[in-house]
Amino acid sequence: MFRGFFVKTISFVGYTVQYGCIAHCAFEYIGEFVSCSGPSMQPTITNHDVVFSERVSRHLCRIQKGDIIIAKSPFDPKMNICKRVIGLEGDKVCTSGPSDVFKTHTYVPRGHVWLEGDNLRNSTDSRSYGPVPYALIRGRVCLKLWPPHNFGVLAESPNDGRIL
Amino acid sequence: MDTSKVCQLTPWDTRGYSTALNPRFVKTGRMFRGFFVKTISFVGYTVQYGCIAHCAFEYIGEFVSCSGPSMEPTITNHDVVFSKRVSRHLCRIQKGHIVIAKSPFDPKMNICKRVMGLEGDKVCTSGPSDVFKTHTYVPRGHVWLEGDNLRNSTDSRSYGPIPYALIRGRVCLKMWPPHSFGVLAESPNDGRIL
Repeated sequence: MFRGFFVKTISFVGYTVQYGCIAHCAFEYIGEFVSCSGPSMQPTITNHDVVFSERVSRHLCRIQKGDIIIAKSPFDPKMNICKRVIGLEGDKVCTSGPSDVFKTHTYVPRGHVWLEGDNLRNSTDSRSYGPVPYALIRGRVCLKLWPPHNFGVLAESPNDGRIL
Repeated sequence: MDTSKVCQLTPWDTRGYSTALNPRFVKTGRMFRGFFVKTISFVGYTVQYGCIAHCAFEYIGEFVSCSGPSMEPTITNHDVVFSKRVSRHLCRIQKGHIVIAKSPFDPKMNICKRVMGLEGDKVCTSGPSDVFKTHTYVPRGHVWLEGDNLRNSTDSRSYGPIPYALIRGRVCLKMWPPHSFGVLAESPNDGRIL
């Protein structure tokens, strides 16, 4: 009786590990659901929105300017950030605010990206911590799933003048 | 109907197949279906075991073949080491550990360096031969990496601290060549770890 129970437990653990690994690989290579919090991407993404972030573009290195991406935070390896890509490696980006008199620019180094939130007044992004290594990007946000009245593809950047 | 032909009818005829069908075509169709089912199940098993292997390499550890002179004499060109992932996931990387990290300049390349400073630590940014010593503090969420071969290593002294999230794993065992199998040595540049 104990042996039967033992065998059943082992096979249950085996199936759990098996399907857990397959699910993990699906989230790793296809896409994942992300719940966003914070005001830095308003009005495109607001607090408590759920989006679908696909991983294929990141693995094939096909992230482009204007894409919204989920990346690991450079200041806390356990947190993720959700920003828009304003510049790729080699691009010239504007580091001064829209209200500054003197415009300053910088070039994005190799292997890095320049991220900015859509809500420029209330976003901590590359304007404060500099360009972020491309390897920190986890995936590209392609679809908003929640709330239902906002379901669909995400809007273009409201700050068009920032993308040079 | 010729009764001898009735006796020659095979059992599958009674399941509704038209006896007008050429038995050779039906047999070929069944062969393709069997082949198709075998291919699908082969692909299924490959995906299944591929996912399990991927998760083993992701969460337990992986074998890494190192190239380049930046970690001599601890690790030389073409050495194979075992890098375990558990320390990185549990955030237990410490000063003096050798780590494998994704390169900040090329997302497809990896680098192998020693951790000289964690977040908040003071690190020496000047060389041993400089007259004036300069220091800097490692920002939150970053680490300061240096190769053991200070004269021939591109590391945090040139590109600055790198985010902790780029670290893939901690090198704990050298597997090849066999005569240097075992745990890796401490840093030869002890004075650099403040």
